[in-house]
Amino acid sequence: MDIIAQLQDQVNKIAYIAFNTVGSLQRDAPPARLSQNYPEPPAPTAEALATINSDPKSAAVAFMQGVKQFDALVAALPLNDGGEEAQLKKIAELQAENESIGKELQDEMQSAERELKQLRELFHMAADNCLRLKPPS
Amino acid sequence: MAASAYPPPPPYYRLYKDFSENPDSCPAPPPPVVGTYNLFGANYTTDDVLPSLEEQGLRQLYPTGPNVDYKKELRSLNRELSFQFLELSDVLVERPSQYARRVEDMGLILRNMHHLLNSLRPHQARATLIHILESQIQRRKKAVADIRRKREEVRQMLQESLSTLDGHMNDMQQDGGMAASLMESNLGGQKNGMKNYGFGAAQTYR
Repeated sequence: MDIIAQLQDQVNKIAYIAFNTVGSLQRDAPPARLSQNYPEPPAPTAEALATINSDPKSAAVAFMQGVKQFDALVAALPLNDGGEEAQLKKIAELQAENESIGKELQDEMQSAERELKQLRELFHMAADNCLRLKPPS
Repeated sequence: MAASAYPPPPPYYRLYKDFSENPDSCPAPPPPVVGTYNLFGANYTTDDVLPSLEEQGLRQLYPTGPNVDYKKELRSLNRELSFQFLELSDVLVERPSQYARRVEDMGLILRNMHHLLNSLRPHQARATLIHILESQIQRRKKAVADIRRKREEVRQMLQESLSTLDGHMNDMQQDGGMAASLMESNLGGQKNGMKNYGFGAAQTYR
């Protein structure tokens, strides 16, 4: 997978961890007293406390790991080859060089094919001579 | 009048009756569509441009311009996202009813990060093209060098064959006899053929 797709996946992962952490904390949080007119809500049970205390730490660790990994991927981005103009200029130069080397290759191929044809004729000539040459008795 | 179950084909085929004799007598194909077009009630465009954040109704958090420092802006947005997450956690503890603004800010930062990454795709496409051209040039140069080397090897082999034939003919002539004259008449033609084709002399390449 290319690095930009990895970066996009990492952004999605960070968003997933952040919003799901907050969502699960909201879902599992004990009721809070909103006003003095309302009675104090009951204290949470030990099981509920265990659920609330264990998940946020691992979620926070996962979030920070995701953020650090994103930073590492950004550092690995290969963006040192100049802007759009420099790239377009490089592409034009490479295309010109590709054309010339392509022409050179074509010329070499044609010369090689000519020589191959000549070699085949020579080989046929040699084979005919061998057939005509009688062994000494 | 009986109605056909299937509609007839369009009558345009009659216009291409003389295509094989005179291609210019027939209508040219329609030019490619440029700009926007309508297809099955939906509008499409041939200009594939990434829509800006303003066009999507979002605020852009990084500076505009042709020379955007992508790495710096991505790191900055990443730090801002972590800060907003901490702010959200704090707001949920202190002022739970005000969570919506923080969630919206986090969403805006994430969309800006995605837009910045999407803006890198044309750069990636150009870099890929450069890499492909460079590897193609390398392959062609290698092919040219290989062909030249092989041709040189063939010439050397033929040179050696020519000198071997010369040696054999000289030996047989010294020994004398009909076999020598027979061989000379057969192999002499072959030697001349090799020389006439230019394989007996050193050739220089351009």
